[in-house]
Amino acid sequence: MTPETTHLVIDALPAGYSSKPAGEPDRAAIVFTIDGAEVTAPEGLMLVDAAKYGGVEIPVFCYEPKLGAPVGACRMCLVEIEGIPKLQTACSTPVRDGMSVVTKSPRVIEAQNSVVEFILANHPLDCPVCDKGGECPLQDISYGWGRGKSRFTEPKRHFEKPVALSPSIAIDRERCILCYRCVRFSQEVSEDYQLVLLERGADAHVGTFDGTEYIAPFSGNIIELCPVGALTSRAYRFQARPWDIEQGGSVCAMCPGQCNVTYTVRDEKVMRVLQRDNHAVDDGWLCDRGRFAYQAWESEARITQPLVRQGDKLLPARWDYALDVAASALKKAGARSAALAGGGTTNEEGWLLRRLLIEGLGSRNIDSRRGGKLSADVARTLTEPDVTLSIPDVEWADAILVLATELVDEMPILDLRVRKAVNHRGAKLAVATARPSSLDSKAQITARFAPKAVDAFAQALLRSISGEDLGDLPTRAGADGEEIAAIAELLKGAERPAILWGEKVLYYAGGAAPAMTVANIVDKLGVKNTAGAGHLQIPVQANGRGLREIGFLPNLGPALTEEGDGKSSDEIAAALGDQINALILMGVDPMVDYPNGAEWDDALAKAGTVISFSTWLDGTAERHADVIFPLEVGPEKEGTLTHPDGRLQRLRQTVERAGEVNAGWWAIAQLAERVGLDLGVKVVHQITAQIADGVPIYAGITPEEIGGTGVRWQERAAAGNRPAPSRTTFDLPEPQAAAQPNGSLRLGTFRSLWGGGDVEHAATLAPLVSRTRVELSPADGERLGVNTGDEVTLNTESGEVTAIVALRDSIPTGSAFLLDSRDDGVRRAVAGSPALVEVVK
Amino acid sequence: MSLPEANVYDPQADAFEVQRGPDVGGAASFYRAFGETLRGLKTTMGRLIEGPVTIQYPEEKTAVYPRFRGRHKLHKFEDSDLEKCVGCSLCAAACPADCIRVVATDNDPANPTSAGERYAAVYEINMARCIFCGYCEMACPFDAITLGHDYELSDYNRSDLIFTKEMLLAEPIERTPLRLEGE
Repeated sequence: MTPETTHLVIDALPAGYSSKPAGEPDRAAIVFTIDGAEVTAPEGLMLVDAAKYGGVEIPVFCYEPKLGAPVGACRMCLVEIEGIPKLQTACSTPVRDGMSVVTKSPRVIEAQNSVVEFILANHPLDCPVCDKGGECPLQDISYGWGRGKSRFTEPKRHFEKPVALSPSIAIDRERCILCYRCVRFSQEVSEDYQLVLLERGADAHVGTFDGTEYIAPFSGNIIELCPVGALTSRAYRFQARPWDIEQGGSVCAMCPGQCNVTYTVRDEKVMRVLQRDNHAVDDGWLCDRGRFAYQAWESEARITQPLVRQGDKLLPARWDYALDVAASALKKAGARSAALAGGGTTNEEGWLLRRLLIEGLGSRNIDSRRGGKLSADVARTLTEPDVTLSIPDVEWADAILVLATELVDEMPILDLRVRKAVNHRGAKLAVATARPSSLDSKAQITARFAPKAVDAFAQALLRSISGEDLGDLPTRAGADGEEIAAIAELLKGAERPAILWGEKVLYYAGGAAPAMTVANIVDKLGVKNTAGAGHLQIPVQANGRGLREIGFLPNLGPALTEEGDGKSSDEIAAALGDQINALILMGVDPMVDYPNGAEWDDALAKAGTVISFSTWLDGTAERHADVIFPLEVGPEKEGTLTHPDGRLQRLRQTVERAGEVNAGWWAIAQLAERVGLDLGVKVVHQITAQIADGVPIYAGITPEEIGGTGVRWQERAAAGNRPAPSRTTFDLPEPQAAAQPNGSLRLGTFRSLWGGGDVEHAATLAPLVSRTRVELSPADGERLGVNTGDEVTLNTESGEVTAIVALRDSIPTGSAFLLDSRDDGVRRAVAGSPALVEVVK
Repeated sequence: MSLPEANVYDPQADAFEVQRGPDVGGAASFYRAFGETLRGLKTTMGRLIEGPVTIQYPEEKTAVYPRFRGRHKLHKFEDSDLEKCVGCSLCAAACPADCIRVVATDNDPANPTSAGERYAAVYEINMARCIFCGYCEMACPFDAITLGHDYELSDYNRSDLIFTKEMLLAEPIERTPLRLEGE
């Protein structure tokens, strides 16, 4: 029977989805009655959501589907259901076929009025000084569903006015309505388990158990979750009112996660960053770096005008002069020039830079990664749509292997997605890393291998999956054979296995062996024809995938076709000053971003002319650059990025560029003009059109098609233009054996989310930048007689560095993990990738 | 060529009788010509001996009604000398002419500027745009802004018509006379 309904039809697919993920079960349609109208809705929804299919709004405070199971804490959503004598909470009552619901009866209205009155009994009337004023659900609901008058004359409860919950967040406990949203986020979504509800009754308030600051990678999300003004951003405190501001949607380009964001703009300045829900990318969350790093963009330290080195000084220069200096050096160098791109370099900037080098200077020395050249077959195999995952696929996979990547530092938003998969979608998780991962507690199987032995580990896993004898591989990897076998069983037994691995291993391995092993594993699992199964490579650079696919590689062209044979980044470093006389660095600083920073430091000292596009005066820019062009920051940029899952996303300019900053693509076009090449671009969309023309897999793409939520190229017809790999399995080289400690410790390094100019110069993030730290196991700590907080000297074959000790139970005995704080000491000590370290008190 | 009948204009179709007065001549006519004129002149003559109604502006000023809406004033508490305005921006939200700009900032608890947690670091009203509707006064939750009686707001520069917080907080130098009750 088709019911006659007049309800609003809302899109059943969330933002960003072009189709349902393979693993997501189908939902039957059911028919229920709400306020007298028959409505069709998917089965299993809570009444609050199902009511929206009938165009009925039920007010809620505590309900937020992103937080998992509803708690029914605020009682705002009471409705009358036929056959149930008492009023029911619509947020925790699943809709059922034939249900009859009333939301506007006198009884329900009386209940709603009373709940609002009750909530307001202790809520202070300080809307004029409250930051939430004007965008406050409590204001809206009081207006829409409240009585308009209060009968309470008793004094309200009082707490000390806003206190700092963390450097970023202020909490005003008087305003709290105890909806539990923030606590649930901390306990169930980010799982940092820090926020709790303290005390009982009228004294109840949110805080951390021991009163310490709430420091967590995703803490900022609770500001947006709070339905009242209890949790507010300290950086945004009193900066603007909702009617003073404009909102501009864009994409965060600070890590490969590429979360969709909304910039709040007042007087041409970014005042705050909010999430912009795109289920296919970020699920509506943001990490604190993405949320608070905007403060750095206003800092004095940012480069906002071109600088030219004269003698040993960097002097401010006019654009014309700086461009002339750079162009004459490039012209002189000609084919002996090179370019590296990375970071948030857009596809457009990469494309123009590529053309400048190839067409303008006749040089093929361009690279966007470290770790040698990828052969066309390897690159294509890793990009094959059949075996590469989308982000929703990760959520619906039934077994997930996190291999050699710390998601929370390398692509934070994916960490939350994996937790969601485990907590709510029933996925089984295996974590295989050298350093203990924050996901360990969610994992069914945790495997450790020795630092730098990922190659041996992955090959052992491959053999285990193929049922071959592991031989001495587990020993070589410093891993446990049984753990490897368990992971192999898990992956083989899964219908939709997902392997998440970090491109970082290629940076450190200096070769493609780990990637080839992953390709072989995926091939061996035989998931080519299973939708929603495969692997996801997490690039090091924010737009790593985009730069690779437009052909910013020494040996591969657009869409990974074989083209040219230039020098890779390491070869460029070796040839600097000798065969390479001019180097352009676009958004990447090899000294800081590459693991062989010390080698780059030495190489750049010999370099002819170094032209750097940079935001901060550090690393190469400070020490070696001869011409520095100021780089745009996120909200100043216009262009496209490619997400690690192949989704093209659009950056949109929302504020004026600071100082004398100009668009990166414009500067490249000007350089090209000065070396005698007309790139034919006046506006950025012409470059997008050139890419749509020149990159077969992006064929015909337009900014309009990309739109606000992006489009995966694998789902477009043009995906058929991709060149197929001639082989999908590879002969693997014999893996290196992990070093034997022999009294010293195996050395591993890691990068924290809290580092780099964006973090250091942001007022509320700066306290999180940690000093050089070395993590040891308690057993090693005891043996060496050191404790957490002690200062020790680390001796490697390359040099020494002092670091603060942190003892962690989960660190395997025999290994030491050094936090790469991006400074000279660490850079020197880890030069040449030493395997062992001696820790001296 | 003849027009269809329906379209032929008939001047008589909608004619109506014009009402006219009596014919010229006789006593009534005489009265109409002179009597009524004299009656009107009586008012003129009466005003003539009242003296001039124009005033010697700017030496003299027109008194305004108590509820006259003129130049805005920002207020302070008389006891503590703290500003009443907390920089909530509701006036800016209410303003139909979009002439108010408020930039709020944190109050220093040791040395507060206003009585609330925040205060207006910048409070500007563009008098060239203001339509003196008084909505800002109505929106203000703290009676911090009222419309005063001053109407002398001309200047040589448009930019000089942007009144800053200091200007709005200061007492006007010359007060406009108020019209008394019943005047």
